[in-house]
Amino acid sequence: MTTTENKLPELEGEPVEISIDGEKYEAPAGANLLEFMIGQGIEVPYFCYHPGLAVVAVCRQCLVELKGMPKLVPACQTNISEGMDIINSSEKVLDARRQLLEFTLVNHPVDCPICDKAGECILQKQYQDWDHAKSRTDHAKVSKPKAVDVGARIVLDDERCILCTRCVRFMRDVAKEEQLCISHRGNHAVLSTAPGHRFDSNYSLNTVDICPVGALTDKDFRFKVRVWELSSVNSVCNGCATGCRCEVHTHRNDVKRLVPRRYEDINLNWMCDYGRYTYKALTDRRNTLPFIQGKEAGWDEALDFVGKALEKLHSAGDGGKVGVVLGADATNEDNYVAAQLGLEYLEAGAVYLAAEPDGKGDDFLRVDDPNPNRAGAAAVAGDKLKSSADLASDLKAGKLKALLVVGDKLHLPEAAQAKLQDLDLLVVQAAHPGAVADKAGVLLPAAMWAEVDGTMVNAEGAVQRLRAAVEPPAFARPHWQILVQAARKAGFTLDYAGVKQVHEAMKKEIEPLRGAEWGKDLPPTLLRYAGSRG
Amino acid sequence: MSKENPPEEKLVDEPTVVNMGPAHPAMHGNIFIKLWLDGERISKSQVNIGYLHRGFEKECENHCWQQIFPYTDRLNYVSPMLNNVGYAVAVEKLLGIDVPERAQYLRVIVGEISRICDHLTSVAAQGMEMGAFTPYFYLMKGRDWLWDMKEEISGARLTHAYVRIGGVAHDMTPGFKEKTLEMLPKIEQIICETEKLLNKNRIFIDRMMHVGTISAEDAISYGWTGPLLRGSGVDYDVRKAHPYLVYDRMDFEIPIGTNGDNMDRYLVRIEEMRQSMRIIEQALEQIPDGPIVVDDPLVVMPRKAETYNTIEGMISHFKLVIDGIKPPPGEVYSYTEAGNGELGFYLVSDGTGRPVKCRCRPPCFYGMTGLSHVIDGHLLADIIPTFDTINMIGGECDR
Repeated sequence: MTTTENKLPELEGEPVEISIDGEKYEAPAGANLLEFMIGQGIEVPYFCYHPGLAVVAVCRQCLVELKGMPKLVPACQTNISEGMDIINSSEKVLDARRQLLEFTLVNHPVDCPICDKAGECILQKQYQDWDHAKSRTDHAKVSKPKAVDVGARIVLDDERCILCTRCVRFMRDVAKEEQLCISHRGNHAVLSTAPGHRFDSNYSLNTVDICPVGALTDKDFRFKVRVWELSSVNSVCNGCATGCRCEVHTHRNDVKRLVPRRYEDINLNWMCDYGRYTYKALTDRRNTLPFIQGKEAGWDEALDFVGKALEKLHSAGDGGKVGVVLGADATNEDNYVAAQLGLEYLEAGAVYLAAEPDGKGDDFLRVDDPNPNRAGAAAVAGDKLKSSADLASDLKAGKLKALLVVGDKLHLPEAAQAKLQDLDLLVVQAAHPGAVADKAGVLLPAAMWAEVDGTMVNAEGAVQRLRAAVEPPAFARPHWQILVQAARKAGFTLDYAGVKQVHEAMKKEIEPLRGAEWGKDLPPTLLRYAGSRG
Repeated sequence: MSKENPPEEKLVDEPTVVNMGPAHPAMHGNIFIKLWLDGERISKSQVNIGYLHRGFEKECENHCWQQIFPYTDRLNYVSPMLNNVGYAVAVEKLLGIDVPERAQYLRVIVGEISRICDHLTSVAAQGMEMGAFTPYFYLMKGRDWLWDMKEEISGARLTHAYVRIGGVAHDMTPGFKEKTLEMLPKIEQIICETEKLLNKNRIFIDRMMHVGTISAEDAISYGWTGPLLRGSGVDYDVRKAHPYLVYDRMDFEIPIGTNGDNMDRYLVRIEEMRQSMRIIEQALEQIPDGPIVVDDPLVVMPRKAETYNTIEGMISHFKLVIDGIKPPPGEVYSYTEAGNGELGFYLVSDGTGRPVKCRCRPPCFYGMTGLSHVIDGHLLADIIPTFDTINMIGGECDR
């Protein structure tokens, strides 16, 4: 298992010599000229090109001069070959770009103040960077359908659409569900759903990301917050075992949306709609206070209670009868501390794993396993891991006196569920109420994935870093912290000053996680100053 | 104690330590001087500043270049226009743009009005804190009239934020020129009245003359500029030495003192007001017609009609507000003559919409540095006139 740095694809091809604006470059033959220029930091405007999509050269914005060609050529559709002489900054090229932008803007509505894209709009950026000339038209703009409800999560505004066809290509080539098309011609061309289709794909929100303007907007995010007010934190989606890399966008300690972060090896540029909306669970009916026997309690009281109970069981030699349940939704660090408590202090011999049963994936990003960190929990516990089915049978057999559950994912058959009442002690560290949490003798409010620092392991074994984007609600605490504090009360000292120390200790102990990297602690970036995202 | 038993122990000869300020009225509420007194004489003093620290420089790092103007208003809040101008000139130097002539004249006019306000206030406070309350009211009356003019042109009375990167916010109002020209003789009259009340006043002279004396060398070594330095006889004025805007077209003189004492600093300020009035008259005479901001869509926001009615104007407005003006990467130090001396801005740009560093060189910070040197060895009461003629403005000194 290794963590790979975020990187763009390397261009492949025989190195040949080309010249751009008189400067010599060694470039891979056959590679996309636009990609090469972007990689070299040469500024070229474009709308329709996207690294994850097929090239069509419909926007004509990346025109460059190529010696030997009578007309300007689009860089995105030009393959590099030996001896190419490209001119990127002549007056002819700049003029062409200016004129194209002017044409694009002729029918563009004056919508910026009410457009969700404003602030991260590529059209705004390109106009300001390449044109910034005043309007020269005085005729009325062509009107087209606005605020069209095209799908479950998407609203379409045809006036804003600049017909780059990114969304059409994405749905056709990447999501493989051809639900969008361009109909009519010339001034009247509009983006619309394909005949007989609703735009309901589970990947529809990717078109909102790649839309260079605000033609496609997310119903959930619409009018919620201006994008430049958002702060971005790099994290990983917890919707399923794929672990798509994402940015968590927050505003005043509130997650507003998740957007994918480009990563070649896992999710490329994409994320599924289901995963994007998992942020809603962060504010949905959270446990915010510790409860003892159904009564509100303070943390000291609750931890004391748990610590003393564990100590009593331990000193009576019943440590082995405490079932410690790791969570497939908790981080490796949380699970490592839980496993230490179970295996080293209580000498339980084994720990259980609580995981959501398999759902249905698709053949793109979503996989059957809806648990973000099953592989991590398995790695942490090694061969001492038992499944929740084992837990059910152990409960039924009456082998357990107490249960310490980490996370929300424990699902038990009814017979086993009923047996929970016979336990001496049921401690549940959960973020939400649930069948098991409701039966808890001691309920401890836990922080969720977007509120903690830690690592998780996806289905393919990649260790990925989660970063805390928001504060946990009210009194909720990270799992590892609760466990360390409860263990201390029981007289078992786990000497961790922070989650990073847990990580370092875990790396030394757990063979499969040895290559894991904690990475840099990145402060949240205010999108206003992150430049135009585009 | 009876005569038969005289006290055996001597009087204590260790210095009396007095904390003067920051709540002392003469310390303007934000300077604390710790004084070691030998009787009434100051044997040692320690000037502590920072009671009005607002984090101006740090704040700038989180704001777009053009959003910083209101913060500069609050530096030397007695002459905000001069700070506006100083900052704008610095950013323009970074951008490498030339401001239209009309805007330069407007900046000179409002700047010099501000300078008069600054000196009126300073002189008023000097008199008042030595018991001469009457001139204070005369001078404040004049300042009020000038504030009326600044209100007329900028819409705000105290914190104008009138200057823009690339020009100014508004043109002169109709009648501004006439009203100002009418106003100046009245200000001149107030200055004459003040001179009559103070210049030959025994108490005033006794407390100002040969008090707070600093030599030219010392003043230079402490980094003093403006009226403080000129009081010591150095004819350094940024407007003459390194002309900016259209000061090189103006005919004016730099008054200098001879002794470098409080009286000289007072007289320099009085005379500077007259010179400023000369500059205003000339500027109003010479001011050409033309635009008041540069015609650069990457620096200046489009007109409102364009913003609301065309997508080009809307985008331009949007990008300038959200992303800010983007000067090329680099650093620049620019300096102008503010009310108390050389107001410098050292700006560093990394090509983004906000400064990486915006260091402000506040003239009276250096005045405070040299304060101990000037007051040590003198009487406690001498602090008051000396502190006044140095004219510490908390907003600027502490930033």
